Amino acid sequence: MNFIQNLKKGIIKENPIFVLLLGMCPTLAVTTSAVNGMGMGLATCAVLICSNVVISALRKVIPDNIRIPAFVVIIASFVTIVGMLMKAYLPSLDASLGLFIPLIVVNCIILGRAEAFAFGNGIADSFADGLGMGLGFTLALTILGSIREILGAGSIFGFSLFGAAYEPVLLMILPPGAFLTLGLLIGLINWKTKKA
Amino acid sequence: METKEKIQIDWKVVFKLGFILLLISGVAACCLALTNYVTAGTIEEMNIQANTEARQEVLPEATDFEEVPVADVEKIATEISMAKPEELLEIYIGKNGSEITGYTVKTGPGSGFGGEVQVLTGISTDGVITGITIIKHNETPGLGALATGEWNDQFTGKSATEELIVVKGTAKEGSNEIQAITGSTITSKAVTEGVNTSILVYQTLSE
Repeated sequence: MNFIQNLKKGIIKENPIFVLLLGMCPTLAVTTSAVNGMGMGLATCAVLICSNVVISALRKVIPDNIRIPAFVVIIASFVTIVGMLMKAYLPSLDASLGLFIPLIVVNCIILGRAEAFAFGNGIADSFADGLGMGLGFTLALTILGSIREILGAGSIFGFSLFGAAYEPVLLMILPPGAFLTLGLLIGLINWKTKKA
Repeated sequence: METKEKIQIDWKVVFKLGFILLLISGVAACCLALTNYVTAGTIEEMNIQANTEARQEVLPEATDFEEVPVADVEKIATEISMAKPEELLEIYIGKNGSEITGYTVKTGPGSGFGGEVQVLTGISTDGVITGITIIKHNETPGLGALATGEWNDQFTGKSATEELIVVKGTAKEGSNEIQAITGSTITSKAVTEGVNTSILVYQTLSE
């Protein structure tokens, strides 16, 4: 597989949310608005690229039977570093996303890609895989967040859409809204892909 | 006859694996320490600045702020018989020159939907709430987190003579009622609890 293919598969064919169904926990929890979804997606993307590259570089050094603890140490370190850097240099972004950053540690996409891809592939391919998966994750979270924000708050990226007369469907930004939206989206995608 | 299978432990391999893991963790720890070293000062400065700005925002009349010593804060917490004295965090006296213009009280009621909600309340010496702001919270984004927006403006101008109460639906104008955020009564109550504690602190201080 070449670079472009590795990049593309994460966005569409093996989209982590809609197809692989990985990382459901942060997906359901943070997609209450489009901005939150996108921010979480991009932060995850950054960690995913870093951890994929480092794990790929160290794949000959790390023995097979202790790979999982090694992955966890590497991933947790990157998450903490990203968190600290954001706090120090991007305080406004940190104010809206700070809560979600530590959550990235438990995102199984990152551990999943380390295990399934980076540990057995070269650095460039792992970088492409991380970027593709990260963008796919970001895309899915932004779509979910947008749908929930439009229906549940009557706005998109914070801009009001329907004016004050619109009565928001509060359920959509509550946890059940996450399950309903995700379920219907996955159903729709399956129906479309099966048909083709 | 009993044949007990003995598991052979290859200590060489165990130590080798442990050593590699130690090495990885060590390098990771060094990276973290380095990042912390670089960012800690900036983060600290940012926090101090954010706190000063927040105090200025809730008590605009004051030009200087003087911190009330921790021992006194603890004494006040016992005096107003708080169930959880550790929820009273900081008290600052706002001054304009030598004249005291009011107080800012930072409280951290733990009764929010996601645990602690840190509320900074400004009360002027004429017994009026001059503003509140949420410093830190763990509330649901899009719901309880709305408390950080325009919602907390309704505290401004309330009298600090009586306890505020949270109501669902529309609050009466000029009363001690606070309108709850739709879908986030728990958050609304937690914030109001913090403000009420601040009112008690103010009453003790102004006596």
